[in-house]
Amino acid sequence: MKRNLIWTLWAAGVAAVALFPHLFGVYYANALILFAVWALFAVSLNLLLGFTGLLSFGHAMYFGTGAYGAALALNHIKGLSIVPAVIIGMIAAVILALLIAPLVVRVSGTAFAMLHLAFAQLLYVLALKLRSITGGEDGISIYPRPDLNIFGLLRIEMNDQNFFYFAVIVIAAALSFLWFFTKTPFGQIMVGMRDNSKRIGYLGFKVTYTKAVVYAVSGGFAGLAGAIYALLQSLISTNDAYSMVVSVYPIMMVMLGGVLSYFGPIVGAAFFALIDEWIGSGQFQQLLLKLLSLLLPSSLAQRVSDFFQFEMILGLILVLVTLYWPLGLAGFIALQRMRWQMRRVSGGPQRSAT
Amino acid sequence: MEAYIAQGMHGLAYGMVLFLVASGLTLVLGMMGVLNMAHVNFFMLSAYLGYQVVAWTGSFWLALLIAPLLTAGAGILMERFLLKKVHAFGPMAELILTMGVAFIISDGVKAVWGTQNLPLSPPGSLSVLVNIAGVQYPAYRLFLIGLAVAILLLMALVLYKTRLGMIVRAAVADAGMVDALGINVPLVFMTVFGAGTWMAGVAGVAIAPILTVSPGLAAQMGMDAFIVIIVGGFGSLGGAFLVAILCGLLSAFGVQFLPQYASVLLFVFMAVVLAIKPEGLFGEKES
Amino acid sequence: MKRTIRWMGAFAVFCWVSLFLLPAAMAVNAKYDFDHFPDMSDYDPNNIVKPEGDTIKIAIIAAFSGPAAAVGQSYLLPVGWVAHDINKRGGIMVDGKKKKIEIIIADNQNKPDVTLKVTERMILQEKVDILWGTSGSHLQKVINQLADKHKKISVNAISLSDELMDKDNFTKYAFMTCFSTEQIGRAFAYFYGQIRKKETKFYILNQDYLFGHSLAEGFKVGLKEYFPTAQIVGEDYHKLFLTDFAPYLTKIKTSGAEVIFTGDWIPDAANLLKQSRQMGVMLPFANIFLSDPTTLTEVGIEGTTGLMAISQSGTGNPVFKNEGIIKYFKVWDNLWKNKWAKPYNSLSYKYPMGALGTYMTSVYWLASVLERAGSTDPEKVIKVWEGDSYQTLGGKVMTMRACDHKMVTDLHIYEFVPPAQQKQCFNIEPYYWFEKCAGAGPVYEIPSDKAIPKADPELCKKN
Repeated sequence: MKRNLIWTLWAAGVAAVALFPHLFGVYYANALILFAVWALFAVSLNLLLGFTGLLSFGHAMYFGTGAYGAALALNHIKGLSIVPAVIIGMIAAVILALLIAPLVVRVSGTAFAMLHLAFAQLLYVLALKLRSITGGEDGISIYPRPDLNIFGLLRIEMNDQNFFYFAVIVIAAALSFLWFFTKTPFGQIMVGMRDNSKRIGYLGFKVTYTKAVVYAVSGGFAGLAGAIYALLQSLISTNDAYSMVVSVYPIMMVMLGGVLSYFGPIVGAAFFALIDEWIGSGQFQQLLLKLLSLLLPSSLAQRVSDFFQFEMILGLILVLVTLYWPLGLAGFIALQRMRWQMRRVSGGPQRSAT
Repeated sequence: MEAYIAQGMHGLAYGMVLFLVASGLTLVLGMMGVLNMAHVNFFMLSAYLGYQVVAWTGSFWLALLIAPLLTAGAGILMERFLLKKVHAFGPMAELILTMGVAFIISDGVKAVWGTQNLPLSPPGSLSVLVNIAGVQYPAYRLFLIGLAVAILLLMALVLYKTRLGMIVRAAVADAGMVDALGINVPLVFMTVFGAGTWMAGVAGVAIAPILTVSPGLAAQMGMDAFIVIIVGGFGSLGGAFLVAILCGLLSAFGVQFLPQYASVLLFVFMAVVLAIKPEGLFGEKES
Repeated sequence: MKRTIRWMGAFAVFCWVSLFLLPAAMAVNAKYDFDHFPDMSDYDPNNIVKPEGDTIKIAIIAAFSGPAAAVGQSYLLPVGWVAHDINKRGGIMVDGKKKKIEIIIADNQNKPDVTLKVTERMILQEKVDILWGTSGSHLQKVINQLADKHKKISVNAISLSDELMDKDNFTKYAFMTCFSTEQIGRAFAYFYGQIRKKETKFYILNQDYLFGHSLAEGFKVGLKEYFPTAQIVGEDYHKLFLTDFAPYLTKIKTSGAEVIFTGDWIPDAANLLKQSRQMGVMLPFANIFLSDPTTLTEVGIEGTTGLMAISQSGTGNPVFKNEGIIKYFKVWDNLWKNKWAKPYNSLSYKYPMGALGTYMTSVYWLASVLERAGSTDPEKVIKVWEGDSYQTLGGKVMTMRACDHKMVTDLHIYEFVPPAQQKQCFNIEPYYWFEKCAGAGPVYEIPSDKAIPKADPELCKKN
């Protein structure tokens, strides 16, 4: 019975995604891809943060390198299909991760975060400086998008609709792979390392080596997210690739959704995407203004609502979440669930209160 | 030759301002283990407050006195009501919290003061040129160097000659032990955090007459300050001082000799140091 | 034989040049109508009224939040003003209906990815008719690409890069109503070499990105052409949002330069000017964006005298040529003094000229094209706008080059002099622009054929 329900839900989910571009049009289809990209990016970051306790303040460098890798490959190799382009982007990110890993696996905590901030900024200024390769501020455009070409047998043009299916399938596959990755014995060592890395060391596992592997996997999938992102935008520029906000966004998503859960960052990304759309389309400000006008005279209401711009709201969310929901949405839900179960066991709040 | 002397002085002046910003950051980091991402935003906030004081009173000196104190007050409030509460959740939560505060300050100043560039002139007595070793040099920049040196001396005095300084130094080394000795560590933390934001505040007002007060001020200064504390070693005040001066000189002479690469020079310097010593030049190795 | 070839060559060049000049020589197709200038007293940029019913939608794509939010504000006031002017006249007759102009704010936060998203939203969700933007050629490129993809008219009134209209990036849906990098560089070279004939030593100091480099390239090309004896004594590119200009200024001081050529924009331009005067470097700047009165006032009269600013919307002296424009300005001035609130009551918005004039001209021209096309259908708009010529309210004639959609016009260079000497330019009370800084006095005209916008030969060969 329960099994049937799960299958039905899955089928309904797949059907909803398949019909999505037809029902909601290109604009929202692209918004959904963007959400998927963010979700993958956030999960890749959480592979480090949630599963090994390392916070990278410069994950943009893998995202950006994946994006540049794909874009450069497409610009320099004539007739390259979309799949090898994405793979090249991912490999570029993995190579970078393997280069940086020896420098960063020795440290943890604030030092780890700072080193990443530093290296990401280094890449940022280099990408700006090497204009002949990266196009600097102008970036590299991938316009039109390359076709999907399967061994010359099948050629699918990547218009907005087909690209939607391509992106969703690739990202869904990547997310499932990462889910199974965390369930393997290797994944369990990671969790052990986060909680007590010395003990894992005593148990005979190589802590540094494990860290390096996780690091490379995390970097690779961030690169994959970046490559899809570049294809979605048909453009990648230094600002979208390496700037500091690109590193900050996935941290926010992870914090919003919850560090300790695999699905937390995905929920966080969804939340973030909704906020972004809500503020970006001006609906939030209109609603806020309406609410405030009920309480305040109109000129003052306007003045107060002017305070709530995009960054201000992001900042408030970050502060409030760290203060009151340190484990994010997923942690909050888990806590409620635990309370509810406790209550059931103890036979209701009335009795426990007495 | 004069050009080189002038470049050396520019490097010194910029390095000093950089040190004013970075020292507060590194002090807080060393002692509380908190990397305050909002630090440069306090720097910017103080520049805006300074502008406001000048607009109301017309006195730059008053601004230099009041604005950093107000900024320090804001910093203390942040420490007391936000940072302290998330301390239990570990450095990650603190880092993200300060990031949030950074966003709030940077949009807040825009909501209050608008997004246009606001002018702030150096006081009349300092907007003259002084002849030093055959170089015509602006008096205001000399004043900047003097101000930074004065604050450095003051800090050194407090840190090494007073009881408070002793406690602070001890707390940097081992906060738990100091707490166990019955010293009110939260109060010490608050004082240090206030002092750190005060120094950022002084730097903010002091640099405003050279730059314009604008919403981009934090980003303009922020990265250089982070480079200083990363390269100098987390929590090392002496390291921050040396590296700040080095960075200042590197930027000035970089422009003179390697103008094409001036913008990446600091970052390359940082990368080289980190590749050899990930904990920074004067940082202690983590166990 | 050799001689014949040379003559044929010269003849070919002549034909080329005259073909470019032909539209300018023709009578203008349309001009600003002063006679029906409506009552503008109810215009408030902080509270732009959304017109009722079916409208022509224009999206202003620019930064309205983030550190560059002042940029978006500076577009909203002039574009909103033009829309108000036209709406008060009853709107524009398109597709058999009188429609009013509706302005939609599209905040791109000055970021490429947000620009893409917000432009898509404008096209697909808001269903706008016109995309109007934006500062930053990399952002304009994104907008033009989407205009091409979705077949929408894109008006670039701000981004100056020639690359936007080269053969790789050109789309027939995009129109550039502003001048461009190489043109600016060459115009300055022509000015110093053929008109002023005084300073010979130049120092180039630009921002280190595509725009700064291509501007410098244009200046060097122009010097070769118009001023071969000139010397470039130094050339530097600094990072964007630089803190300390002192090291560069020391180099400039020792180089013996007589003029600093810079394309820096605010805040870099402001910091550069301010710090140079603080350090006692009193050299004149040949510049584009050093016109923000707040900065100029702070630096003062002495420090701003001698600046040379180039303008595309300006005209020869005096500024107030007829009753129409005096009345127009008085209405503006009255609103600026008495009605508009923060931030529109600041010095930057005192005059509907300079940069603001450029943006206004761009929208007036667009509206005139829509009216004559009788439609918002992009194909019909393109047909009218290509080769069109329009006379602005300042009396300047602008032509839209058909082959690559670049605007061709005479340029003007303004020499900044103390307020007492500005009467030749500012010919009404109080006879100066701003009290506490230098402003435009003498004006020098660069004829359009001396600084024609760069044309990609592959696009413009058929003409």
